Amino acid sequence: MRRFIKNQRNKGFYWLLLLPSILFLIGFLVIPFVLLADLSFRDVDAYMNTQDTYSFAQYAEVFSSSTNLKTVGITLIVAFITAILTLTLAYPAAYLLVYAKRSFVRTLLYIILITPLLTSMVVLSFAWIVILAQNGLINQILVSLNVIDEPLSMLWNMQTVIVAYIQVLLPFAVLPIATSLSDIDPSLTKASMSLGESRIRTFFRVILPLTIPGFIAGFIIVFSLAAGSYITPLLLGGRLLPLLPLNIYQQVIQMSNLPLAAALSFTLLAGVGIVVSFFVWMLNRWEARMNG
Amino acid sequence: MDNRVVNKKKKPPRDWGAMFLWIVGGFIYLFLTLPILVIILSAFSPNPYPEFPPTSFSLTWFNEVFTSSEWLEALWTSILLVIIVTPITLILGTTAAYAIARLDFPGKQALQALMMSPLMIPHVVLGIALLYQATSMGWIGTINGLVIAHLVIAFPYVIRTVSVSVSNLDPALEAASMNLGAGPVRTFFKVTVPLIKPGIMAGAVFAAVTSFGEISISAFVSSPNWVTVPVRIFNYVDQTFDPAINAVSVIFILLSVGAMIIIERTIGLTKVF
Repeated sequence: MRRFIKNQRNKGFYWLLLLPSILFLIGFLVIPFVLLADLSFRDVDAYMNTQDTYSFAQYAEVFSSSTNLKTVGITLIVAFITAILTLTLAYPAAYLLVYAKRSFVRTLLYIILITPLLTSMVVLSFAWIVILAQNGLINQILVSLNVIDEPLSMLWNMQTVIVAYIQVLLPFAVLPIATSLSDIDPSLTKASMSLGESRIRTFFRVILPLTIPGFIAGFIIVFSLAAGSYITPLLLGGRLLPLLPLNIYQQVIQMSNLPLAAALSFTLLAGVGIVVSFFVWMLNRWEARMNG
Repeated sequence: MDNRVVNKKKKPPRDWGAMFLWIVGGFIYLFLTLPILVIILSAFSPNPYPEFPPTSFSLTWFNEVFTSSEWLEALWTSILLVIIVTPITLILGTTAAYAIARLDFPGKQALQALMMSPLMIPHVVLGIALLYQATSMGWIGTINGLVIAHLVIAFPYVIRTVSVSVSNLDPALEAASMNLGAGPVRTFFKVTVPLIKPGIMAGAVFAAVTSFGEISISAFVSSPNWVTVPVRIFNYVDQTFDPAINAVSVIFILLSVGAMIIIERTIGLTKVF
């Protein structure tokens, strides 16, 4: 009985500790989203002032305009391509991280991997401008080596945005894959290779299946970050690229059409949510299969 | 077959596959560091545009940053935010991470997902949501919107680092303290907090670095009176090319390296990432 009372008292204390955070999350995460949902159903007048009347006008505008629908599609496709390329590059990078024999090398690789994670996105994007601009690093080198006469124009297109995305998001893919990779019993790969399988076949038939959890975890995070960021595309690709986050930013900053921006936001959330849930479902199915 | 195995043992052949992987992997790591190397190279060059190989060394751009009132004001706003945001997130995150590890209730997983959600929700959406809330509350022209945004975004990192420490904690130590007559409150402050200090320290570093570098939401909720360094960079880059940004960026890179060292010394980089 005494233990029971003590237990209850502890529980009360734990709830007391949790309470401020719950209130904080409700106040500054849940309520803002409820307000945003409300906003997305509001009408606007000719001057983009938000009205008190409700309708589906904003969503109708999102889904009836072929430009908007195209933007949604392109956003998801670009995020998908980014995620696939990032994860492809993440495998060799994770391999080095896991199988580096000297601890000094491993620490160095870790530092290289984590520095971009802790550095502001705007700084990394700026660095890509310095590298790719007309009088940037690559053009300077190519001109001075007489490879080209006129500087190349490498900024302001989607490919550049994807390259920068890969650099910014690569650590998010390498780390979960490295975790999965280090869980693999090395004797499995040895067994496969000594049974005469080539390295490539061993990769596809042993390593890849066993790292599926890390792959999917990396895919989900890279995909959602690539689909939801506007800083990198705006600085490297310009305001005119057909990407949903850019469009949302423009609606807020230039058009001041907040209800349309809210409706576009929920469209983005839904698009990312559908893709992510599909991958979570795949992960669960995979794990169910692996565990019998 | 047998023959081959014996041969292999005698003279190990060069592992071309592994060598190829190391070369490819090496290039990937080079690609990863490229922007940071270029920034450092440009920041210490006297020319506005990068040159390779560098010809001379200068601190011109650093001088420009530290004498410009605009950069200094932005720096002050950023530092002020770190000073406000770090302790608040630390208190919220530490108590929540500890309590949720000790409690079991329906909806616990949902609450944990909600706590970590600011890392996954598209930041442009979070930005508008918080901008609209700040506008509704009449916070335009104040620092409040930035404080809230940075709290929301730094909170999950503290939860993550403190959770690592809490899961390493031996519950027997708390039980011993309580059996000796200390209440849950005293046990928390005298036993638990000192034991999870590494996680709290790493959380503090994360909160500070995240707040200092946050851009996606800050760009929405900042006002002309309160502009952080990343927002200033963003506005400048969007309009013109200012080589002083290289010097500002070096400050960011130095801070992230410093942060990494502290995290490695406290709970270890591999545990958090």
